[in-house]
Amino acid sequence: MNPLIQFFSFQDPNIRFVAIGAVLLTASSAIVGSFTFLNKKSLIGDAIAHAVLPGICLGFLLSGTKNPVFLISGAFVTGWLSLVAVEFIVSRTRIKEDTAIGLVLSVFFGIGILMLTVIQKSGNAAQSGLDNFLFGKAAALVGEDLMVFGTVAVILLVTVYLLFKEFTLLAFDKDYARAIGLPVRWISVTLTSLIVLAVVIGIQAVGVVLMAAILITPAAAARFWTDRIRVMIMLACIFGAVSGLSGAYISFVAPAMPTGPWIVIVISTIAFVSFFFAPRRGVVSRFIRQRTIRRTIHNENILKALYHLGENDKNFLAPRTPDEILSKRSLDRDHLNRVLYRLKRQGYVELSKSRWQLTDNGKTRAQRVVKIHRLWELYLTTQLNIAPDHVHDDADTIEHLLTPELEAELEKVLDYPREDPHRAEIPYP
Amino acid sequence: MNTTQDITPALEVHDVTVAFDRKPVLWNIDLTIPQGKLAGVMGPNGAGKSTLIKAVMGLLPLSSGFVKIFDQPIDAVRNRISYVPQRESVDWDFPASVLDVVLMGRYGKLGLFKRPGKADREKAMECLRQVGMEAFANRQISQLSGGQQQRTFLARALAQEADIYFMDEPFAGVDAATEKAIIQLLTTMTEARKTVIVVHHDLQSAQQYFDWVILLNTRLVAHGPLETAFTQQHLQETYGGKLTLLSDVGELIRRENFPNREGTVPKMI
Repeated sequence: MNPLIQFFSFQDPNIRFVAIGAVLLTASSAIVGSFTFLNKKSLIGDAIAHAVLPGICLGFLLSGTKNPVFLISGAFVTGWLSLVAVEFIVSRTRIKEDTAIGLVLSVFFGIGILMLTVIQKSGNAAQSGLDNFLFGKAAALVGEDLMVFGTVAVILLVTVYLLFKEFTLLAFDKDYARAIGLPVRWISVTLTSLIVLAVVIGIQAVGVVLMAAILITPAAAARFWTDRIRVMIMLACIFGAVSGLSGAYISFVAPAMPTGPWIVIVISTIAFVSFFFAPRRGVVSRFIRQRTIRRTIHNENILKALYHLGENDKNFLAPRTPDEILSKRSLDRDHLNRVLYRLKRQGYVELSKSRWQLTDNGKTRAQRVVKIHRLWELYLTTQLNIAPDHVHDDADTIEHLLTPELEAELEKVLDYPREDPHRAEIPYP
Repeated sequence: MNTTQDITPALEVHDVTVAFDRKPVLWNIDLTIPQGKLAGVMGPNGAGKSTLIKAVMGLLPLSSGFVKIFDQPIDAVRNRISYVPQRESVDWDFPASVLDVVLMGRYGKLGLFKRPGKADREKAMECLRQVGMEAFANRQISQLSGGQQQRTFLARALAQEADIYFMDEPFAGVDAATEKAIIQLLTTMTEARKTVIVVHHDLQSAQQYFDWVILLNTRLVAHGPLETAFTQQHLQETYGGKLTLLSDVGELIRRENFPNREGTVPKMI
């Protein structure tokens, strides 16, 4: 049977367990992680993830079994302890939060590894598989695990649903929340408990080391696509679920492949794509916007040069050689050609016998740029008392930027003047 | 409205000392503000103006003294208190619209778990209209200018329908016309017996804006009606340089790690 169909038909109970388990873990971690991300506490997840290891060992030592309820209880306790320790260090000493997190993380993890080693050397047969918590064991999830995960996921979702507006306000403006009488302390404790819970179940899929990635990365990726918090959290949840499912699928197709790391690779790829290709916030989109602006500036500068030539001999539509244009605006010759051909495509200039001339459209646009340039120079000298020899460079920027509304206001403020500070005529259409 | 309620002061601050890192930044403040006043908290940089209103609202621990609002402890009257924090105190790149932020003003009345409904939305829109921001309701907050951010915060405070308003530099980054409009709005509110307490920088406009002033320079220099408190002598005392001895002693307390009141060890912030 085709592995794709075999996997997504979910006939095999093992496939079902792994797929559902991975999706539950990643999606609920992504939702809770969105609030850690918005609270700018991204590193906290990493601290908790490392700090639960001694708790798991403790749970095993005290109960003598690998029953998930005991292990999770132990993990929950030490996870919380680590946060109390971070808060204590920050509030009672001069150590800053990042340093405190680093300290707590390594001390707790060190103790955890120590305990794990002791347990492994003890010869206790029940201990085998405890080290799964280090790197995750998503491919070996069973029905019992799923019950625990499902319960925790439901707790997380219901709590976030009920306290959505409180969590949002706390992330945006904590002092205000306190001032209007919200039980800030209580809400913070609830959110922190959710994070600890999410980490505790999450590490069973991806392990201690990679946990921070599935907590924070979906939210960071989702933030690129939207400015609405609900959409952001929904997207983070979807990104998380997709990575969970893909991780499970990849390790099913290639059984030598571990599920957890693949989950992290998929979610990182989503983040990478978001970083580059998201509209508006993405790198590519910003690059294109910048390039458009640069091109507009070059276009208008060449149109302006043609206009200035026209002013010299009172013939705006006369054909000009590239050399004439270059006498008004120094530019690389190839670059000038590229700009001129672009202007020709846009209908602002015409080419005949290797000479360039403005079209009517081109003249109108050039005239507007020249007008704004001279108006702005006048504005700076008359209204702001800036020396006339200092105003040219500012005007060179403003002329490409001004909106028609501001242009009209500028004309009004200056009362439609005829000449700029250098006695050049201000052209009106 | 009965008469006893009328004479209850809006705010009573009794012997309040506030310390950062054990160093007192406000010493033994005693003051009362009657209801229906538009009060200005004035003083030089580092005088503790923001610290005072934060301490009054319980956002900072007190090293000594107590605060009463409408003759009750602050936690009993939280739903009657509104706050406009400094604009820079939040990250404006947060994923929220202007309307989302104004709706936060309704959260106190809504209580836990409940979501804002149609009535809350209408109230929020009405408050946006009052500050001239209704056209920006769906704008992402990162796209606002400084003055628009300030007006958004003001609308959020109005949406609370509180009785006493604490505003931390609400005119920072606001243009002159908007400032006039806001003051007009605040005056109308005090006419409806609301109390508004404003941290303010500009001495020039203070005379026109406020009918009650609090002059502060790590200690209380003067407070009361504009006519009696806002005098040349008091201003001289407030702005004429810090009291060096007082700040030297404060520094000493911090360095020596000294509890500044016997028995009360201030918590570090």
